[in-house]
Amino acid sequence: MADKKQENDIGRLSFEEAIKQLTGIVARIEQGEIALQDSLEQYERGMALIKHCRTILNKAEERIEKISKEETPQDKQQQ
Amino acid sequence: MEPRVKIYTVGQVNSLVKAAIEEQLPPRLTVRGEISDWKHHSSGHCYFLLKDKTGVLPCVMWASRFKSVKFAPEDGIAVLATGYVDVYTIGGKYQLYLDKLEPEGIGALQLAFEQMLKRLAAQGLFDEQHKKPLPQYPMRIGILTSESGAALHDITESIRHRWHCAKLLFYPVPVQGEGAAAEIAEALREVNRRNRKLRLDVLIVGRGGGSLEDLWAFNEEVLARAIFDSEIPVISAVGHEVDTTIADLVADARASTPTRAGVVAVPDMQEVLSQLAGAERRLTGQTVARLKHARQDLTIVLAGALFRNPLWLVQNGRQQLDDAQAQLAEALRAKLDSARRLLSAGYEQVVRIEPHRLLGARTVDLNNLANRAGGAISAIVNRCRMNLTARENRLEGLNPKSVLRRGYSITSSRRTGAVVKDPADVAIGDLLVTELAGENLIESEVTNKLKRQQTDNVGRDN
Repeated sequence: MADKKQENDIGRLSFEEAIKQLTGIVARIEQGEIALQDSLEQYERGMALIKHCRTILNKAEERIEKISKEETPQDKQQQ
Repeated sequence: MEPRVKIYTVGQVNSLVKAAIEEQLPPRLTVRGEISDWKHHSSGHCYFLLKDKTGVLPCVMWASRFKSVKFAPEDGIAVLATGYVDVYTIGGKYQLYLDKLEPEGIGALQLAFEQMLKRLAAQGLFDEQHKKPLPQYPMRIGILTSESGAALHDITESIRHRWHCAKLLFYPVPVQGEGAAAEIAEALREVNRRNRKLRLDVLIVGRGGGSLEDLWAFNEEVLARAIFDSEIPVISAVGHEVDTTIADLVADARASTPTRAGVVAVPDMQEVLSQLAGAERRLTGQTVARLKHARQDLTIVLAGALFRNPLWLVQNGRQQLDDAQAQLAEALRAKLDSARRLLSAGYEQVVRIEPHRLLGARTVDLNNLANRAGGAISAIVNRCRMNLTARENRLEGLNPKSVLRRGYSITSSRRTGAVVKDPADVAIGDLLVTELAGENLIESEVTNKLKRQQTDNVGRDN
């Protein structure tokens, strides 16, 4: 259950947030100030973050989308 | 004789002057001078004097003409004014009617640029403190440029080469000519307004190279203000390396050309991937090292005497126990010895006070007490025995076997072994065992089941 929840939470992170968390985890583990059990959990989270980042990077956006000017009344209402 | 004097009207004189001017002056001329007494009327028309060491020439520039002047005229600026001279009959003066006004020496646009630079700098538009940081990993990038120019291709390719995971959103705008600056400015404001939906991380505004005139839209105040006001960070990418525009200075970051936009706007994919690989290496390396360390610690602990020989603790304990036992025995012996010594000392004292004489008197007292106690105990015992007999008798009455002595019997089925309480408990042909007093048994067979008359049920035995 906890793993599933963690995966979902990582899946929602932006690339920037994921990199930030990853950097924090690497730093904490390298400082060696956390307990062994914690470091294993952090290691798993770190690996999940790396996977998430790679997934984002591997996604190639081929098309340029054109922004159409807001002219329709629907657009105006949504503003 | 008085010569006849010709009298002219004001109108005639002004007409003659007008005619003379038209005859003598070219229909269009350029005049060098310095602006003096500059007045920009609220109607949009401009009035000033052109002056040099010798005097002044009144000038007029209509709003419709002044619109195309890019720089801001002011007193003291040396200019070349082009137009025609005509008479302003109402004011009684001749004036230069301008259709063109240029600064002398440097180009008008150059001057205009410098003036704008000075003015916007004074207002703090270029200050470093207003620069927004660019996102490190932009995933949605807005591009504002012309649909027809090469800049769009240059910008998108420069991004794709480095960072193909970003989504590019293109907003077409005119990038030169009258009104272009205002359109780009409006586009900037619009994407900012809509950014909750567009979710743009960064904007790139630009165009390819051209003359100062071509790039002019990017020097106009209306665009500078829109870039300054943008909540989304703006990168400018205008012209060639050497061109610097107001837009470049007010933008949060500047790409010297559209092809450099990618370098400024996005990180290099390979670098980011190798950073990730590095993080993975460090993470794994550290964790593996950590585990190895922990395993070593464990090995050391396991190598200790306790785990090599688990009986060690028990043996140790056993020895301690033996030691303690020996100590205890020793202590007891010492205690006994001292008690024995005390006792023998006490005995000596007791002997010395001749106890047997005291004992004689005490024995008589003791016998008396014993007799009294014995009588009391016999009385209690007798009372208890009587109570007991009475209860025994009552209990005997409740014993079913004692009922047998009064002529009753207990009938049970040989088949089931259960006491027969109901005719249904037995079947015709079953053997019945009837117990009588004195452990006597009778065996009989059920031959019939009858019911006695209702009037008498006393004899319904079990």
